[in-house]
Amino acid sequence: MRTESLVDRLSQDLRPVRPRSIVREALLLLLLAVVEVAAFLGVGFMRPDMPVAMGAPSFWWKLTSMGLIAVMGAGVAILSADPVRSPRRGLRWILVCIVAILASGWLIDAAGSGIADLVRRLDWTQGLRCVWKMVVLSIPPAIALGVLIRRGAPTDRAGTALAAGLSCAAWGAFVFVFACPSDDPLYIAVWYTVGCAIVTILGRTTLIRLARW
Amino acid sequence: MAPTVSAKAGDTSGHDWDRMMAAALVGDANAYRTLLAELALWLRRYYARRLPPSMTEDAVQDVLLAIHEKRHTYDPARPFGPWLAAIARYKWIDRLRSLKTDAAEPLDENIGVPDHGDAVIAGSTFQQLLAALKPPQAEAIRLVKLEGYSVEEASRATGQSVSLVKVNIHRGLKRLADIIRAAADAD
Repeated sequence: MRTESLVDRLSQDLRPVRPRSIVREALLLLLLAVVEVAAFLGVGFMRPDMPVAMGAPSFWWKLTSMGLIAVMGAGVAILSADPVRSPRRGLRWILVCIVAILASGWLIDAAGSGIADLVRRLDWTQGLRCVWKMVVLSIPPAIALGVLIRRGAPTDRAGTALAAGLSCAAWGAFVFVFACPSDDPLYIAVWYTVGCAIVTILGRTTLIRLARW
Repeated sequence: MAPTVSAKAGDTSGHDWDRMMAAALVGDANAYRTLLAELALWLRRYYARRLPPSMTEDAVQDVLLAIHEKRHTYDPARPFGPWLAAIARYKWIDRLRSLKTDAAEPLDENIGVPDHGDAVIAGSTFQQLLAALKPPQAEAIRLVKLEGYSVEEASRATGQSVSLVKVNIHRGLKRLADIIRAAADAD
């Protein structure tokens, strides 16, 4: 097709479009987060000892950590679904946060004694169940971010997909915090890292395909 | 050293393009047609310096389609030039990546070529980019992708194995895309 014909075809029957709004997309994601937390708790997954757990520093550590990464990742992903914005600086900040989170976890975890105690604390059967739930809970944000990225025009597809993958992973973990039976920082550092790594890799691999335009 | 890739899109008619694109977003077909026609000219000049001549028109049409499909991502409160330049650069990288899979077709030696100007410019810019690669990578890309040699012929000419030629093309093109993207981030 000649370029002049293409210009004619594109300009014929031109329809008005509503410009993309970062605020609107952020509010949609916030609404989805509220709905997912409410549905998760409404089904009865909330841990029975929640009032006691809320007194433990590690509960707030994992809740704020996951929430922070989810918010930062989603923010970087939707901001970078704009041709003129790169996700690279945001990704560097997320990396800094993850390092700080792990370091603070080790600080909270003052105690530690012996291999047997380590195995007991890691509780791998419970840990695998946690990982599975985290992965399932990350599916709704993955779909939502996939739709937003598909609608956007990211020019650094790998970076945007990675930010979105990190956000989905932390989002799923954030919601799961309300049901997670363990407040042991070691358990959290290991199993949350495993769950988040799986979702991040899957999310990055899948979303980079959706980001193509 | 890699050439500067920041595009000064709309330097001369930037305000007009801002206004026309804003009008297009609310459905003004005439402004949109005028804008796309002007952009086609600008894009031809842009890609004439960055791609082999045979790829230029496809790249121009690809960007026009992308602009149409992604026009809702343009914010009328911001200048149009950087938005256009980002899309043009993204599609340029995409074209370079596609070289990995597209077979280069050798040109007929008797083919009529009316003007070598664009080809020379594109070649010189591409040569500057190739200079940033390792010599075996640059040599493999130059022979197979620019001069139309088969992978086997390039293997014989360079002394690299066939699989090494393929690997060097793959890695070299990936490196080129990274160089262009890094320059864009630095901008």
